[in-house]
Amino acid sequence: MNSDRDRTDRAITADALRAAIPLFIPAIPFGLVLGVAITDSAMPTAVGWSTNLLIFAGAAQLATVSLAATATWLTLVATAAVINLRHVMYSAALSPRFTDQPRWFRWIGPFFLIDQLFALTSVRTEMAGPQWRRFYLSAGIFYFVSWTTVVTLGLVVGSSIPTEWRLDVAPAIMFAGLVVLGLTNRPGIVAAAVGAVVCLLALDVPNNGGILVGAISGVIAGYLADVAGERRSGVRAS
Amino acid sequence: MTTFAALTAVLSVGVITYVSRAGLIVFLADRPLPASITRALRYVGPAVLSALTVNLVAGGQGVGGVEFVEVAALFVAIVVAATARNLIAALIAGMTTLWLLLWLV
Repeated sequence: MNSDRDRTDRAITADALRAAIPLFIPAIPFGLVLGVAITDSAMPTAVGWSTNLLIFAGAAQLATVSLAATATWLTLVATAAVINLRHVMYSAALSPRFTDQPRWFRWIGPFFLIDQLFALTSVRTEMAGPQWRRFYLSAGIFYFVSWTTVVTLGLVVGSSIPTEWRLDVAPAIMFAGLVVLGLTNRPGIVAAAVGAVVCLLALDVPNNGGILVGAISGVIAGYLADVAGERRSGVRAS
Repeated sequence: MTTFAALTAVLSVGVITYVSRAGLIVFLADRPLPASITRALRYVGPAVLSALTVNLVAGGQGVGGVEFVEVAALFVAIVVAATARNLIAALIAGMTTLWLLLWLV
């Protein structure tokens, strides 16, 4: 009996890893860029590295280490809070799947909830209880270990790359690329465009406050465009 | 930046990140967010990431901190990201543009 159970457990872990690995590949350059950014950061390198263990969220980590030189504590934390708002969405979407889970897992599970893990686990509706938990943790721990490894690699390589290579520009390119890949509809494009333009106009707001002003304007604009678009298509349908 | 200040910042961001992931799972299980909130949350990603890009390019020095080569590299990266739908290709294209321009200018 017991060995049967072991076999299924192992099959679930193997299934989780097989599904997790392809999604990790696009994250590798991001992790390397973050490693390099840590070596460039105003933060002590060890503290920059500790973001892997304490934050474990690529975009929030990159923002934290690259804004450390110019932002106050408050702007840094507020920016990270806004970047992390999409996690609230994941949390909202996954919370029904956690209701039948033990308390320890409800506390520990969310720590691993990066984009990839959400994408993997939210669609596994055929699994429940201990099986889903095993799948979730196997993939989550895999991402945690591989992410930390890749960032460390970038950190080691980064410190030996000359500054003339201008790798300090790479984070901005990564963020711009993430914006473009995330644009799937018109309201999203409106949100991104308004966010960028307002931030540009607000660049002289002290302590990088322009990021927040731009982000909030962008969200409002995207929301309004969404509502307006729906109303338009509603009129056409009737 | 002192180690203490840096560690305080990292810990604060860590707590905020954890709360945003765990909040609804640990404390508010089964109470769904209002539809208008989830709808607005969809646009947080594009809005904040594009604002952050603009800010990073300026390097905290206002509009005067914007360099032509950086903007050109960014533009190429955006075009490649939009056409190839691939982040690695966008990064390589953007950095190559930057190096070419730095070498030419």
